[in-house]
Amino acid sequence: MADLGGISLWIALALSSYACIGSVLGRLRNHPALVESSRRAVYLVALALLIATLALVTAFINRDFSLVYVAAHSNLAMPNVYTWVAFYAGNEGSLLYIAFVLSVMSAIALRFSPGQLRDSLPYTAATLMLVQTFFLAVMAFMANPFDTLPIVPPDGQGINPLLTHFGMFFHPPALMAGLIGITLPMSFGLGSLIAGQTRDEWVDTGRVWGIVVWALLACGLLLGSWWAYTILGWGGFWFWDPVENAAFMPWLALTAFIHSIMVQRRRGMFRMWNMVLINVAFGLALYGMFMNRGGPVPSVHSFGASTLGWVFLLFLAVGTIVPFAVFFWRFNLMKSAQNLDSMLSREAAFLFNNLLLLGIAFVTLWGTVYPLISRAGAGDEITVARPFYDQVNGPLLLGLVLLMGIGPLIPWRRANLASLRRALLIPACAGLAVIALLVALGLRQPYALLGFGVCAMAASGIVIEWWRGTRSRRGSLGETYPLAFLRLLAANRPRYGGYIVHLAVVMVALGILGASFFDTQVDVVLSPGETVTVENYRMEYIRTSAVAFSDRTEFNSLVRVERDGRYLTDLEAKRSFYPSFNMASTRAAIRSTPVEDFYVVPSENLSDGAVGFRILVNPMIWWMWVAGPVMVLGTVIALWPQRVRQTAATRRPAPAPRGAEPSAA
Amino acid sequence: MPTFPQLRSITPTALLALLLLTSVNIAHAQDPPPAAPGVSYDEAEAQAIDGMLMCPVCPAETIDQAQVPLARQMRAIVRQKLSEGQTREEILDYFAGRYGQSVIGAPPKSGINLVAWVLPPVAVLAALLVGALSLRSMTRHRRTVPEHPARPAPLTENSGDLGPYLDIVDRHLETPAEGEPNRG
Repeated sequence: MADLGGISLWIALALSSYACIGSVLGRLRNHPALVESSRRAVYLVALALLIATLALVTAFINRDFSLVYVAAHSNLAMPNVYTWVAFYAGNEGSLLYIAFVLSVMSAIALRFSPGQLRDSLPYTAATLMLVQTFFLAVMAFMANPFDTLPIVPPDGQGINPLLTHFGMFFHPPALMAGLIGITLPMSFGLGSLIAGQTRDEWVDTGRVWGIVVWALLACGLLLGSWWAYTILGWGGFWFWDPVENAAFMPWLALTAFIHSIMVQRRRGMFRMWNMVLINVAFGLALYGMFMNRGGPVPSVHSFGASTLGWVFLLFLAVGTIVPFAVFFWRFNLMKSAQNLDSMLSREAAFLFNNLLLLGIAFVTLWGTVYPLISRAGAGDEITVARPFYDQVNGPLLLGLVLLMGIGPLIPWRRANLASLRRALLIPACAGLAVIALLVALGLRQPYALLGFGVCAMAASGIVIEWWRGTRSRRGSLGETYPLAFLRLLAANRPRYGGYIVHLAVVMVALGILGASFFDTQVDVVLSPGETVTVENYRMEYIRTSAVAFSDRTEFNSLVRVERDGRYLTDLEAKRSFYPSFNMASTRAAIRSTPVEDFYVVPSENLSDGAVGFRILVNPMIWWMWVAGPVMVLGTVIALWPQRVRQTAATRRPAPAPRGAEPSAA
Repeated sequence: MPTFPQLRSITPTALLALLLLTSVNIAHAQDPPPAAPGVSYDEAEAQAIDGMLMCPVCPAETIDQAQVPLARQMRAIVRQKLSEGQTREEILDYFAGRYGQSVIGAPPKSGINLVAWVLPPVAVLAALLVGALSLRSMTRHRRTVPEHPARPAPLTENSGDLGPYLDIVDRHLETPAEGEPNRG
């Protein structure tokens, strides 16, 4: 199996190099057969990597400890279901995973790319395969997952216990797929630039891939937060760890991109800006991969002891410089089709949203590099961590949600002040009313008040849009309210799908606000039978039972929770000790409701049977986790092909030339 | 004061002893203990300080998060010092003196490190300003150049049978519809 995997890796490397060179040569020498054969080579790369992937999976399932990688990341006690996690738990396997995902995405992208991209597609393919070749070469020469051990050990080291969590089945693969996936929209943009197709040909394809990748990253980030919340045992979900930041920054740049690309799609504006954004997002994604593999900043996420730091640093440098070099080479060709009509327009709002998003990304990057600057310059050891980001990024994120509430209410092209006032009146009143209500209820923290007000404004703006659309459909078409609402969503999916995603963002903001400003935390040591009171909860520690497994000992602590003097529930929080890792992993017991979470996690088990508990009451954090599926739903709606319109278009007697199509604007 | 990293663990009763004696090694670890009888402190303030101090032996974790014994000891010291009436600044200074400035989770807001705090808001404001100026030049430019849509106005809902009522929707919304069909 190891041989098969190793050989297919080399075949994939050969094929991707061929595809890279072949498509450029074929395009330059005007040799369509060569271009076509290179395109097929891309499909074969995906096939070869599928075989390599299956070979590694098989090795894991057979517990073939002759492979270094399998011996290091699994053992006999590991349930087979964790093969999926063990596959990408280490450096080599995660590289294979990334290469495989990139090859599949590349194959799909080339197979389904629209005809208008024919001229630029060879360059796109070459860009994709250049990145692919990098990963394959790193694997083949420096970090081969199929390396074998001279002596086969009887058992492996086992999987990192922190990874044995449901969230780990999706968080790392979604993030890694998202980070590498940014290569796709970037390659379409770069391909168009190299081919001199500097108009809007790549925009639709770039937008679709941009949104897909954006959703992958968003899910990865949310799942990672959820994992941290339930397993890391301190009750928080985000702590601005350097690697969290490294995944967060490309997501910000991509968020800017998928908004800004709408302007180009609709108005033919912001052509250069969109190229800049996608190149920045790609650069930040490369930076994220670099941080993950031997970056200069310590983090809990690093693939430990990776020696690939310098390779990825080089890749980061080249991957950032080359797209921008091409950009400046083609700079003069990228004139926007139209000019801005007014400062008071959706277009302008998008630009400010972009700048704010990039501003947050910049602050985050700045926080990561400042300690290095300080060490090199003044020789001071300075830490930039959570307290800094909370203070600096907090207000910026709040501003972003505010803009998210206003932006969609501003019409395209040109708004007049009267219509704007009318559009903003109800949402602004809703926001102020919520603030007034909260002040009346005794809330005093200004940031929290502002945050809730902004959330209320953004949410009410969306609801009003939905309400108006539904009502007018009902009025003019006689549809029932639910039907009118569904047809409204179906009629303009990019817009209403986007609104659903915006609602999900409001939900995330609610969770963050609730947990950051209104949580109660108690650390306490209890002997069996003792109780503790936290807000209106009373928790009794009943007992701890120890269960020995071959790789760990689980301590299950049973507690009984009462609220307002009435029995609520029994919870079992878990703390497992893994001798082979000299490491404990906790599993919090959480009673989650939309109002608040009651969260208890054992932080230590003492020899006399007493247990140190951390107990939290976290208001509204439930909304944050529910936001994930809502976000996915919105993304799917936004991307769902507009079948209604396509049939409408084909039914037209004679398709009018594009320039003659009527406009509703 | 004892050097805490050397201690493997402490008990609540031992904590008082710890502050009296200079070095002790005690049985087992314990979370921040309830303060000594008769001495009270503000737990919320203690947690806020926990969130500002980095655990010196863990990667990028504050002592509020970290689960290693050293972090527990530091949390205990924070509470002890609070109940002795020390302020947040005094406690942070104490830890900075003991473990170096890097134990504080954010750069100090003084001296050269002010740059760390000032640069981000300045950069964001500058970006917004540049954005606003370039937008203004884009609108100015427009007055001299007549509008020539090189790109067709988007195909929207008024093609096909959905058209008429979606127009009505749009009129009610007073915003033109977004999005176009896939041009494939």
